[in-house]
Amino acid sequence: MDVLPFLVTQCLNALSQAALLFFLGCGLTLIFGIMRIVNFAHGAFFMLGAYVGWSAVRLTGNFWLALIAAPLLVGGFGAAFELGILRRLYGRDGHAFLMVTFGLTLVMGEVIRLLWGVEALQVQIPAALSDIVFILDEPFPIYRLFLAGSGIVVGLTIWQFLERTRLGLLIRATSQNAEMVHALGTDVRLVRSAVFGIGCGLAGIGGVLAAPMVTASLGMAPNAVIDTFVIVIIGGMGSFLGSMIGALLVAFVQVFGSYYFPDLAMAFMYLIMLTILVVRPGGLLGKEA
Amino acid sequence: MRTTLAVAALLALMPLGLPPYAMTLLTEALIMGLFAMSLDLMVGYARLISFGHAAAYGLGAYTCGNILLHTDIPLPFAVLLSGLFSGTVSIGVAWVCTQATGVSFSMLTLAFAQLLYAVAFKWTDATGASDGLAGIPRRPGPFGTTFFASKIGFYYLTMACLFGGFLFARALVRSPFGAVLRGIRENEAKTLSLGYNTRLYKIAVVAASYMLGGMAGALYAPFAGFANTELLFWLLSGQVLIMVIVGGTGTLVGPILGAAFFLFVQQQLSIYTDSWALFFGVIFIGFVLFAPQGILGLARRGRPTEQHR
Amino acid sequence: MPGMHRRALLMSALASPVVLRHARGETPIKIGMPVALTGPAGEIGAQMRRGAEFWAKHTNAKGGLLGRPIELVIQDTGGDPASCVRKAQDVVERDGCRLLFGMTLSSEALAVVPKLAEWNAVFMSSDNGDGRLTGSSLVPNFFRANTSGPMGTRAVSLYLRQAQFKGFYAIGMDYAWGRNSIGVFKDEIQKAGQNFIGDVYSPIGTKDFSTYIAKIRQSGADACFIVMQGDDNAAFLSQAKQYRLPDKVQLLTEIVDLNSIAATGDASIGLIGSSRYSFTFPGAANAEFVEMWKKEYKTVPDTFEGEQWQAGQVLAAGIAAAGSIDAEKLRVALEHVEIDSIKGHVKIRACDHQGEQQGFMVKVVKKEGAAKPTPELIATFPADRVTPGCGKMTYDS
Repeated sequence: MDVLPFLVTQCLNALSQAALLFFLGCGLTLIFGIMRIVNFAHGAFFMLGAYVGWSAVRLTGNFWLALIAAPLLVGGFGAAFELGILRRLYGRDGHAFLMVTFGLTLVMGEVIRLLWGVEALQVQIPAALSDIVFILDEPFPIYRLFLAGSGIVVGLTIWQFLERTRLGLLIRATSQNAEMVHALGTDVRLVRSAVFGIGCGLAGIGGVLAAPMVTASLGMAPNAVIDTFVIVIIGGMGSFLGSMIGALLVAFVQVFGSYYFPDLAMAFMYLIMLTILVVRPGGLLGKEA
Repeated sequence: MRTTLAVAALLALMPLGLPPYAMTLLTEALIMGLFAMSLDLMVGYARLISFGHAAAYGLGAYTCGNILLHTDIPLPFAVLLSGLFSGTVSIGVAWVCTQATGVSFSMLTLAFAQLLYAVAFKWTDATGASDGLAGIPRRPGPFGTTFFASKIGFYYLTMACLFGGFLFARALVRSPFGAVLRGIRENEAKTLSLGYNTRLYKIAVVAASYMLGGMAGALYAPFAGFANTELLFWLLSGQVLIMVIVGGTGTLVGPILGAAFFLFVQQQLSIYTDSWALFFGVIFIGFVLFAPQGILGLARRGRPTEQHR
Repeated sequence: MPGMHRRALLMSALASPVVLRHARGETPIKIGMPVALTGPAGEIGAQMRRGAEFWAKHTNAKGGLLGRPIELVIQDTGGDPASCVRKAQDVVERDGCRLLFGMTLSSEALAVVPKLAEWNAVFMSSDNGDGRLTGSSLVPNFFRANTSGPMGTRAVSLYLRQAQFKGFYAIGMDYAWGRNSIGVFKDEIQKAGQNFIGDVYSPIGTKDFSTYIAKIRQSGADACFIVMQGDDNAAFLSQAKQYRLPDKVQLLTEIVDLNSIAATGDASIGLIGSSRYSFTFPGAANAEFVEMWKKEYKTVPDTFEGEQWQAGQVLAAGIAAAGSIDAEKLRVALEHVEIDSIKGHVKIRACDHQGEQQGFMVKVVKKEGAAKPTPELIATFPADRVTPGCGKMTYDS
């Protein structure tokens, strides 16, 4: 294989990974920005998305329906959790959220095990995307291109949503100054429910999209959580753009790191995180010192 | 002091009445208790919320494991040395991490712990990589005694470490040093303006915390005869933080109870049901909703409020 | 009275649960089984549990062992060695088990075996692959009834002597079993004068294998040896197929099991590998076992279910010969056990406690009209060729 085709395909690989990481990181960072809580259960929502996606594909035979149904269900569940439990805890210190989301992770993991069993479940790639294309004579799965593309599309959509819509404006305003928004007569609580739902729904999309590559399995959650944390911390907690940069950085480091220095790839990732935090304690684009 | 002695006497009598499996569980509870209490020094007294306290535990465990596997140093000295090593290393860690405050501090500690985790995964000679260190012995001594190698002896060693650690930590938080820490907790800017170099105080408390946490890890290695990378993983950091919160922060005693509670409930649930994690999770959520002050808070609720240190 | 209160709490927490016993009059033989039911290896652990439960039920229906019923004490380890040590200690101390099954991962087994002497307990492995367990880490109370990693690898390498490949690459999970098996494979390939190009190890729980797949492609190898199981195996095979790796590279694996075939679907077709057990193995004993299994579970037994059954049969033969479950006596008896099992003749060696048994090679094929692919037997190697020398992990010829 020549150098150029190798570089191109690896970059595309990294992009497709970055897309998945971005779905996770973006949701987590939005939630943090609004609520100042670190959602430990984020990986569990990602996993739930994969399993719901599997069931939806099984029931309807249609991957695209699954891609719509899963985030709605996962997001709905997230919003319901916010309404039922998190809402009672605002005003309490961060400990409460840490424990509640940690507890939720345990509960969700077990419920998923009871409902879907321990076997890894395979989700077929939809027929339209199951082929390969040749990029500079190198075979490359169309599905990965689709992943990279969907990351870009969703990224742009959320950006426009935050910039252009009323809810987007409220979200940005709430993350800047919740009291002010409240004083202006908006129900901040509703914004919080919506954001928690959206954040979890994004993790759900990530789960459905990841399922054809990695199967829906019970090991998904713990690994996803720590990668997501790294992204969000690198990018700056609460920064949307930061989560995008973080996802790209982590994906490229993982892809090229594990190619050239397979033994050091993991350490390298944390070293980058540490360096960035030392230089900029709030992360690349974070505002907190 | 009287209560402390009474509890110590009670715990010292435990081996007379408890079957071996209960002693095993109790020993582990005391180890975890020491670990959780060490974190409380940071979390409860200086509001330094560490997300990476597993680093202390893992460092202690690997150090002690290597000492016991490769040298003839008696078990109690190995534990002490490992604690000191962990505390010394932490000075560097703390120097970096205390440049930040709040969430950033938490994230830096997490990054450090994960970096150690990644290193441990690849440093096969010192850590056995993903296989871990197995067959860690309990070396006899000092003075040729094999007492600490026995089940009961090891329990007493653990108890001694826990009480020693507790008295040390209590003396620390009751001293003028502790007063400055509480000043940092309540209002760092004010403490700084009073002329205290708050950063040095924070580094000192992190070092003390890591030393005790390292001792806990050092006890775990010969207790299980085993050490692996899980002991450095962020999940353990999360769990120990939860033990501290469940027990009640800023109380030293609370986190010990929290750790014991965590272990006993997990153990009992997993005997009765495969779905123990489900009930465990529900218990945490319930705690947050209905017992915000932790176990110690629950215990004190019925009684006239005493001075909350 | 805080002291009193606390103690009451402690005591009730420590109280042992009331376990309902079989009302057979005889005290049961308790076998402790710390096994990974959750985590990445949860599916394998579930197979081991089913295999053990089926064996216990079958044995109890025939009157138990030494006239005593078998009772399994199963606990979940999550696939974590530290937790496995704790659970093993618990079943030994609390439930009084002196016999152990389970320990899904080799790393779990390696953590537990140093404790066996202290517990005076015998551990009969049904799935641990790492060669060191019957080599440098052997302890007197450990026995391995199953095909080890080196033995599976050896079967592959013997098979490869008949095949023509230009160069080999190897990918394994980054822990005891993966590194051990690939080490053996490399040794075998090099001794046979063939071209071993390189190896790579992925951390347990790796989700994206694109880089590793690129590495295999880049190497120019036309055959790749895979040492993976569970979720990682399923993810790797699916993604390899997505990159059309099998078009260019023959995939060889140390373990073929039905579960990973089910999880990867058609992506597994064409895979060649050694099989520790398959329902397609020949022989009357296996046919009978498969029929019994089907009656109970409405499906065919998978790899670790068959291996667990065999481990149970070996243990039963040992207990019958010893007339006791006392570790001292049982150990001596087990060292001379020979049985005719579902995998053919199995003989435990006194020198390193490894069960000598045949090696099997299978190819995953999809038969006309079948719903899913199945492993088809393509070669069998005699026990003396696949079992390494005593306490060894490598082969001389």
